[in-house]
Amino acid sequence: MTSTLPSSGAAAGPRTSKRTEMLESRPVNLDGFVEEWPEKGLVAMESDFDPAPSIRVENGVIVELDGRPRAEFDFMDTFIADHAIDVDVAERANAVPSDEIARMLVNPTVGRGEVLDLTRGLTPAKLLDVVKLMNVVEIMMAMQKMRARRMPANQAHSTSARDNPIQVAADAAEGALRGFAELETTLGVLRYAPLVAIGLQIGAQAGRGGVITQCALEEATELDLGMRGITGYAETISVYGTESVFVDGDDTPWSKAFLASAYASRGIKMRFTSGTGSEVQMGNAEGRSMLYLEIRCILMAKGAGVQGLQNGSISCIGVPGAVPGGIRAVAAENLVCNMLDLECAAGNDQSFSHSAMRRTSRLMPQMLPGQDLVCSGFSAVPNSDNMFAGSNLDVEDYDDWNTVQRDLQVDGGLRHVRSEEILAVRNRAARALQAVFAELDLPRITDDEVEAATYADSSADYPLREVLEDLKGAQSVMDRGVTGLDLVKILERTGFSDIAENYLQVLRQRVSGDLLQTSAILDADFVPQAAINDANDYAGPGTGYRLTGERWAELKRLRHVTSAENPEEEVS
Amino acid sequence: MTGPTTASLREVGPAARGTRPDEVVIAVSPAFADFFTRTIVDVPHAEVLRQVMAGVEEQGVTSRLIRVWDTADLAAIAHTGAKLSGSGICVGLLSRGTTMIHQKDLARLSNLELFPQSPLLDAAVFRGIGANAAQYAKGESPEPVPTRNDQMARPRWQAKAALLHLKEFDRIRAGVKPVEVVLESAPSLAG
Amino acid sequence: MDDGSRLVVGVDIGNSTTEACVAAVDAAGRVQRLGSALTRTTGVKGTPDNTDGAVTAVRRALEGARRDPAGLDLVLLNEATPVISGLAMETITETIITESTMIGHNPSTPGGGGLGAGTTVPIDDLVGDAPVPGGPSIVVVPRGWDFDRVAAVLNDAVGRGLELVAAVLAHDDAVLVANRLTGEPAGGAIPIVDEVGAVERVPLGMAAAVEVAAPGRTIRTLSDSYGLASVFGLDPDQTRQVAPVARALTGNRSAVVVRTPSGDVSDRRVPVGELVLTGAGKTLRVDVDAGAEAIMDLLGRVQPLEDATGEPGTHVGGMLAQVRDTMTDVTGQPAAEIRIRDVLAIDTFVPREVRGGLAGEVALENAVALAAMVRTSRSRMQVVADRVAGALHCSARIGGVEGEMAVRGALTTPGTDRPIAVLDMGGGSTDAALLTADGACTAVHVAGAGELVTKLIDSELALDDRDTAEQVKWYPLAKVESFFHVRHEDGTVQFFTEPLPAHVFARVVVMTPDGPVPVPTRHPVDHVRRVRREAKRRVFVVNALRALRQVAPGGSLRMLEFVVLLGGSALDFEIPEMIADALAGHGIVCGTGNVHGTEGPRNAVASGLVDAWATEPAGEQAGELAS
Repeated sequence: MTSTLPSSGAAAGPRTSKRTEMLESRPVNLDGFVEEWPEKGLVAMESDFDPAPSIRVENGVIVELDGRPRAEFDFMDTFIADHAIDVDVAERANAVPSDEIARMLVNPTVGRGEVLDLTRGLTPAKLLDVVKLMNVVEIMMAMQKMRARRMPANQAHSTSARDNPIQVAADAAEGALRGFAELETTLGVLRYAPLVAIGLQIGAQAGRGGVITQCALEEATELDLGMRGITGYAETISVYGTESVFVDGDDTPWSKAFLASAYASRGIKMRFTSGTGSEVQMGNAEGRSMLYLEIRCILMAKGAGVQGLQNGSISCIGVPGAVPGGIRAVAAENLVCNMLDLECAAGNDQSFSHSAMRRTSRLMPQMLPGQDLVCSGFSAVPNSDNMFAGSNLDVEDYDDWNTVQRDLQVDGGLRHVRSEEILAVRNRAARALQAVFAELDLPRITDDEVEAATYADSSADYPLREVLEDLKGAQSVMDRGVTGLDLVKILERTGFSDIAENYLQVLRQRVSGDLLQTSAILDADFVPQAAINDANDYAGPGTGYRLTGERWAELKRLRHVTSAENPEEEVS
Repeated sequence: MTGPTTASLREVGPAARGTRPDEVVIAVSPAFADFFTRTIVDVPHAEVLRQVMAGVEEQGVTSRLIRVWDTADLAAIAHTGAKLSGSGICVGLLSRGTTMIHQKDLARLSNLELFPQSPLLDAAVFRGIGANAAQYAKGESPEPVPTRNDQMARPRWQAKAALLHLKEFDRIRAGVKPVEVVLESAPSLAG
Repeated sequence: MDDGSRLVVGVDIGNSTTEACVAAVDAAGRVQRLGSALTRTTGVKGTPDNTDGAVTAVRRALEGARRDPAGLDLVLLNEATPVISGLAMETITETIITESTMIGHNPSTPGGGGLGAGTTVPIDDLVGDAPVPGGPSIVVVPRGWDFDRVAAVLNDAVGRGLELVAAVLAHDDAVLVANRLTGEPAGGAIPIVDEVGAVERVPLGMAAAVEVAAPGRTIRTLSDSYGLASVFGLDPDQTRQVAPVARALTGNRSAVVVRTPSGDVSDRRVPVGELVLTGAGKTLRVDVDAGAEAIMDLLGRVQPLEDATGEPGTHVGGMLAQVRDTMTDVTGQPAAEIRIRDVLAIDTFVPREVRGGLAGEVALENAVALAAMVRTSRSRMQVVADRVAGALHCSARIGGVEGEMAVRGALTTPGTDRPIAVLDMGGGSTDAALLTADGACTAVHVAGAGELVTKLIDSELALDDRDTAEQVKWYPLAKVESFFHVRHEDGTVQFFTEPLPAHVFARVVVMTPDGPVPVPTRHPVDHVRRVRREAKRRVFVVNALRALRQVAPGGSLRMLEFVVLLGGSALDFEIPEMIADALAGHGIVCGTGNVHGTEGPRNAVASGLVDAWATEPAGEQAGELAS
């Protein structure tokens, strides 16, 4: 259906120009756009139906929030008032005029800490009031200062349309080598999860030691895989901005907070997920703008004590993408996440537009100022293999991304890697997985499959696996209680000591708990880089993260660059 | 397209529990063939009903139409219909085209077949949905109706779907019980 | 070990699994079994590739027994020779309809009923005000016609005098159109056949007949030669010609027959080449399309088989060559020295679309499935033993021949005695070994086992999915009758308190340990069950008898007393009883092995190896360990 253009009138209609015909056929006109309907919440961030900010504190308890007395609180209000807003600064912070706070956000001479001292006491409506004053460039200015970690990073999806664990491993290895700090996977057939999660972990550690991985599943299995050390973090714990949507999903803020504490108890990094548009998409926006409801989600995450949030509309991107100012609102939601001192995994992770120009413009507000994770899912497989229903960026965009980094001298977390290095890690990841499967008595990975993994692009390039046997094997992994440590031992025993060592280092973080720090990722030396030891110290031109030195030299490389020394040659 | 292009559904009384084991209930949402006349991709509601009912009839099963007033949640609509259906099988329809086959013993949030991507549902799919519902009613095991998947449906249709959903919500009449309706079609123009 | 006992592991490398049994053997030769482990065999049995699997199995067995690998004294391997098997299937019949004489399929919902004979007329000729054709008419409706419009056009034409006796539709609209006919005969009680995919190839202006039977019935007139003769007024010669048409339509609920000048239905045999069997000083040839019985008869006349070849370019020829090539690759023996030592032919059928059919008609075509087996005397187990010794830093040696060891292990099953025969039913071959009262041991391998059963189920049910076929083979069937109960294949009903998953509703399912899994078939439970049991009977029962006859003294099953079933297929839920039933008539006690009274049908060879070593004179043992 989407291959047909919107009807441009029947043949008998008024005559149109060749120009109009040409424009009608442009990909951007395959995208959908709608008018706003603020009464129902179909509006990005500027709505007369959002409440005005207000707060009243009595005896250390918030008794009025955004015009609503405590007796009328819904459970979101209660949770936010009791757990998310810093009562000590609340009245003072909310008394500061919104334009003053907005100016502090863009003023480089005001430090990040100084802003946080105020923003941690703001109500949802006040936060909205502040960001509403900012245009998209100001939002980017503020993001540059307010994001928690100094050095930006990126995250990838590594999935397979056939849930082929060898493909996931090989693409994870390549993704890790190209620079992604985090890798996530999910499944078509959920029962495949243990094998695919093992593939992802081993592939990641074969590509670059210290990359952390996760497998998006229903909550119980996802937690189980995390506790066993087969995955390294968790992300897909969804929260919503209205009580009615929570109730429809048989959940509450407290149940989500309980789940978060289960991860924390094992030293496992985790973040929540939310995004503009989800409530209106489900018809339960309660007449509030998308951004207002998203700010409630962000505060909910803050109140639950998790270190971060994946937001930026995520799977509902088609909704803000279709209303005026929607992509500005998406940038603003990322900024609010930063303003509450949460790690932000900033979206750019779902199929967004038919237009290459729109796809690019949509990611500029995160890519240019930098984010903790610029994409919360750059597809490290072709979109046809992307089991998160497609991303805004996929493997076809690798070289474009690297070129944009080089053009604008911006660090988007990736780098160009020479083909032979990529082939080497893909091969090694597949061979390591082959050895692990053999040791675990899982269905054999043939040499042909290893060969295919080395040179493949998509799942179509791999020999078919016996799905039933694989599923039996996957079940046996769960039944036998295989843990990450078992996998480390096997890797060590089968001659993959380096991968075993990398994996063990990742597991050690669970004991130290260092990955629970805000925005923590592991660098190549397994040192956690987080908001406490790599704090964002931006204070205007010449400060903060600067793309210089070795890293800049690395990003100057592309697939084809003519040598200055000998213009008849290329360097790469 | 042959057949009527506009349909109206006339209320004939409260929806009762069916007793015939050979009936499939078709339950429509508050705005179906009412505020709205077409699905998200302009399939007329009259045609949607004609095809679903034809699919049921071809299998030798009868269909009964009801309208659910107090919710626009597809699972709730289809489950309500299933509980009123003599066979326990119901086809639930939202105005934008999203469709579900439900069975009375299933949990509300479960279903027999779900067709979530409304932009990809055309007349042939609706025909197949009717045929499958009737076969479930007969205790047969049809192959699920094949559907397509399209990652780019999100940028094109997600917001319009949300808008249609909101409009549908607007037509909800809280506390009003489901009603039995009959199809009164305008005369066919084509053919 | 401190107490003077030795830590010994017996390892059985089989076609698909490698088993290890760890035991402590004291100075007096007493065996204390400490544990066992199972892993997948790496590479083809009897080749150096087996080392990895063997080492894994030993390590795992030691881990399970909580013994330090450093304390391991000796690994005992079985003498295993490579056995490679292959499978092929040739379809040997083909139904062809020439010149569109008939449509004989089973649309799920034809419309109306009865028999109508007349001339075929395209519906386009009825649109508008032109005069309708005279005489009884059968209207043919192509794709793209909506059912409401078809009914309207037909009703209008009948109003203008058309004598409508039947209709043939492209879409699945027969009931819909029948329900909308208002003309005579009242209620539209004319036969309507639908879902005729290639309706455009129905000859127009020809004499034709359409018949639709009531639900649950099959047609009576068009499937009867004299019925066709009556309808079309045929003479005896013509009747003889249409007899194949009548036969082809038997069992259908609806049919269309068009009388064309040279139309015909033929059921022809497809030549698929020869099979050449050599043995007993003879070389005999048989056409594969002669069927399984002829092939197996011939095989009986050349026993013991020395070699078999097939015609190049046929599936069977290709399969036999492939088996030979694989063995060449594995052993390094020249292809000319590799001999096919057994074949098993089975008659089967394959549902195939009829060539020239107009509605995707399906005919059950005959086919022959062939399994072949090749073995060689060239074992390379010594290489495996050396490598295992190196990897585990212990002694390793070949402890015995697998057939003998299997029998020894089987003998530990409570209630058995010599003479004893074992049947090991694996994936590719069925193996039998006999230990006589005086200690002589003989062993044979015959072609055909679990893989062949899977293939038969897959093709006879037209599943085209090996995974599903495998599940049908392994687990009993049931029909999900509601969300809260299933009816098992034996008729018993089981209730559930939690609703079953939606995707199994109303389906035929296999009851796997992970819950019911749907079988994508329109066949009822009974049919699927019959196919499954027949496949097992034709492979395992037939092979059990074949293999046991080859080891039985004088080829007489009556000379056997105890038969013990071993291997993976001995764990099947119905194969052991099928074989026991088949052997009961010969006065044989037959049952599933229970090695050492605890291990079930597993671990016979591995524990047999340990037991055999323990009974060796101490001097020989010491010599082994010192070397």
